[in-house]
Amino acid sequence: MAATTKLFRKSLGALTQIQQYRSIAKLPTSASSAQRNELFNLEQRRQQDAIGRVEKIEVRYLGLPEDVTLVMNNNISTPYNCAQHLSEGHCKRSALALIDGSVPWDMHRPLQESCTLQLLNFNVSDPHIVNKAFWRTCSFMLGAALQRAFKQEANLQLHSFPGPNIKSGSFVHDIVLGVQNWEPTKAEMRAISAEMVKLAAQDLRIERLEVDLDLAKEMFSDLRFKSEQLPSIAQQHQSRVTLYRLGEHIDISRGPMVGSTRFLGKCTVVAAHKLANEGASNAFYRVQGVALPTGFALNHFAYGLLEQRAQKLNSARLPTEPFEEQRQMQLS
Amino acid sequence: MNINVRILTKSVAQQYAFKRIVTFSTKPTQQAAAAAVPQQQEVTGSTVRRPIVPAHYRFVYPEFLPDPKVEWRNTIREKLERLDMLDRRRQIELPEFYVGSILAVTSSDPHAAGKTSRFVGICIHRERCGLRARFILRNVIDHQGIEVVYELYDPTIQKVEVLRLEKRLDDSLFYLRDALPEYSTFDENMEVESLEEGAPVPVNDIKVVLRPRPWLERWERQNLLGVANIEQYIKDKHRKSSEKAQKPWEKYDLMKQYRATIPEEEQKEIFAEVHTELHTLELQRKRNKRKRTFVKPKHLA
Amino acid sequence: MNQADVSKLISQLRIAVRPNKRHLKNVDGPEGRLLKLRKTVTALVKHERIELFYNRADEARGYAELLISNAIRHGDRHKATMELADYWLLEKQLVHKLFKVLVPRYENSNISYTRMFKAPRDYPGIFYRKSVLELRGNPFPVLTPDNSQNRNLLHNVLLDEARKEFRREKLANLANKLAAETENATPSTPAQVPVTEQPEQSEEAPKA
Repeated sequence: MAATTKLFRKSLGALTQIQQYRSIAKLPTSASSAQRNELFNLEQRRQQDAIGRVEKIEVRYLGLPEDVTLVMNNNISTPYNCAQHLSEGHCKRSALALIDGSVPWDMHRPLQESCTLQLLNFNVSDPHIVNKAFWRTCSFMLGAALQRAFKQEANLQLHSFPGPNIKSGSFVHDIVLGVQNWEPTKAEMRAISAEMVKLAAQDLRIERLEVDLDLAKEMFSDLRFKSEQLPSIAQQHQSRVTLYRLGEHIDISRGPMVGSTRFLGKCTVVAAHKLANEGASNAFYRVQGVALPTGFALNHFAYGLLEQRAQKLNSARLPTEPFEEQRQMQLS
Repeated sequence: MNINVRILTKSVAQQYAFKRIVTFSTKPTQQAAAAAVPQQQEVTGSTVRRPIVPAHYRFVYPEFLPDPKVEWRNTIREKLERLDMLDRRRQIELPEFYVGSILAVTSSDPHAAGKTSRFVGICIHRERCGLRARFILRNVIDHQGIEVVYELYDPTIQKVEVLRLEKRLDDSLFYLRDALPEYSTFDENMEVESLEEGAPVPVNDIKVVLRPRPWLERWERQNLLGVANIEQYIKDKHRKSSEKAQKPWEKYDLMKQYRATIPEEEQKEIFAEVHTELHTLELQRKRNKRKRTFVKPKHLA
Repeated sequence: MNQADVSKLISQLRIAVRPNKRHLKNVDGPEGRLLKLRKTVTALVKHERIELFYNRADEARGYAELLISNAIRHGDRHKATMELADYWLLEKQLVHKLFKVLVPRYENSNISYTRMFKAPRDYPGIFYRKSVLELRGNPFPVLTPDNSQNRNLLHNVLLDEARKEFRREKLANLANKLAAETENATPSTPAQVPVTEQPEQSEEAPKA
């Protein structure tokens, strides 16, 4: 009898703990976010339906174990599907595809014509392209992690993230918060890092979708900063906007990104610097972190040096400066 | 998504002018080869100075070496045990002896007259390690074979004297139990036979004579060197079974030997730890012995 | 609490040793097991790199290591070692290889003489794990890619940049110090700040 009550108490304790945990980690899934996802899904469906007659393309795969030619479906098959024909190892390892030897291509983006295909991982002899994609994905994931970490009351708005620059030592996401004097503690930074690690553990697929400016405007109608940025972005891409989705989180990015959150290995969100005041009560903050892909072992001392360096304010373009320059920087 | 996949034997008439990215390379880069060479030189250049431990220590103090069985190893326990052993050795002289040496052990005995008992006998076996190290003494008293097991670090032991320091041809002398009694009979009032200092420990190559069968063990299978008349008592069937039981490959089974020994590097480490202490104890003992041997002439009349 | 065997002195192995042996199922018992291992050790010394099942490779590895270590320790004038080599190497010309090739190769080495890798097993195939056993310093191309040398890998890029920045800061500090000193020495003339040349950031363009 005593044992059962004990067990009951224990389970009750665990339940309350979980509830507490839930309340902390509760996603600020506002109506707008759900709506955005809904629109994303609809557009994805529409684009798939619009393909019509399935055409075949020949994809020449170059690499290990041998060069082969795969016959795939135009606008449907992705590099990931090609990897599926090769081996499980190719699916797991490949972070990015390289089309015709020069164009980086997302793993889950449908191929559009006959081409050659190389699958890249982080250990190739020249991992420059894939490193850049990884760094960009880290910034994107940081946005998702921040969205999950902050409660509704914090009044978090994601602003943007500058183009990836690995040599700066940190990846960046600029945000606007409802407080003007936030000085993050170590525990807070750790909590955000934990969100990043959780995202990585969930192994979420990173989806890519190109939409029209009008639809993008509709999707981001409730986000002031995004709607402000949209026209200038669309101007450079024939009024098309590239969106990326990770779980529930949708953001604008030029891409490419790695195929899944799984590729994020060791990761620390290191610092959040205040940049400028915004309005009466809000302020711009720059959140910075450093990360390594999975499978990269670095001893804690060396990693500590990287963390220390990442704490310094990243010199990338500030969100308060005009937007066009940033686009040009990203393009370069 | 159903995709027809064909591996086309003839490649597409397409020319790939761009460079291919190497996804896996087994060739060491030039830098690696350059870096590897000086590293090796560095390692060979440095020499580590260690205290010089006499090579015979592992025979004199075998109980300081731990049990090689990996599951039972515990470096901290071993270290503490060694400290305790040294503590005990500071209290009592535990001399060097081997299987085959003749010892006299004086120990506390609540039932004996004078509360102590002294037993003289030949050491027929040494076993176990650390604080549990023990040895077996054998003697024949009143036509009755007597064996006593002593633990070397037993606090009830008051004195250990080596009456005759020597070795025998075998590692353990259990066959004395089946030998004629004269081979394990030793005088209780035996004098100490002193050896010259620095002389090697003599090996007594005496061959004992066994009693007829039945025996306690199948001595014919054990390749004993110190037994004279085994052939006299065994029949063909014994010979055959003994041949079958031989394991001539065991001397080549390197890993078996490795798992039964403590490697040299580890022995060095262990003895370096206790060497100075043991050495000072040895010197002290020698000084005491000299004092005892030199007796000042008394004034007569 | 058994006493360690003191009659033999063996050098420590530089590989992890299992507490117990594997029996390597054999109808001839322990002798047959050793014959199996002798064949493997002979093949290893002969070919320098062999591919086989993991268990057998792991068992044979210890014997090969000890054989080489004994050969280095005692040399070819030691009768017992010669006997050992004669037993373990089934092809007699390999005894010469052991003493004349392998001993000089490993004399000054302070790491293990062999390496072992887990090898992939093909599916569906035999269930047993496979491995590659090789002598170090063999003439074949290495099996593992060296990640530490590729300066373009992400962690190396980050570390290189961190190092560059550290140097820049140090030089800047030095320059400031010098400037301060010269100012103190000649207050009338304008201080000359030695221009420290910043290490040029090599633009790593994608080669693809």
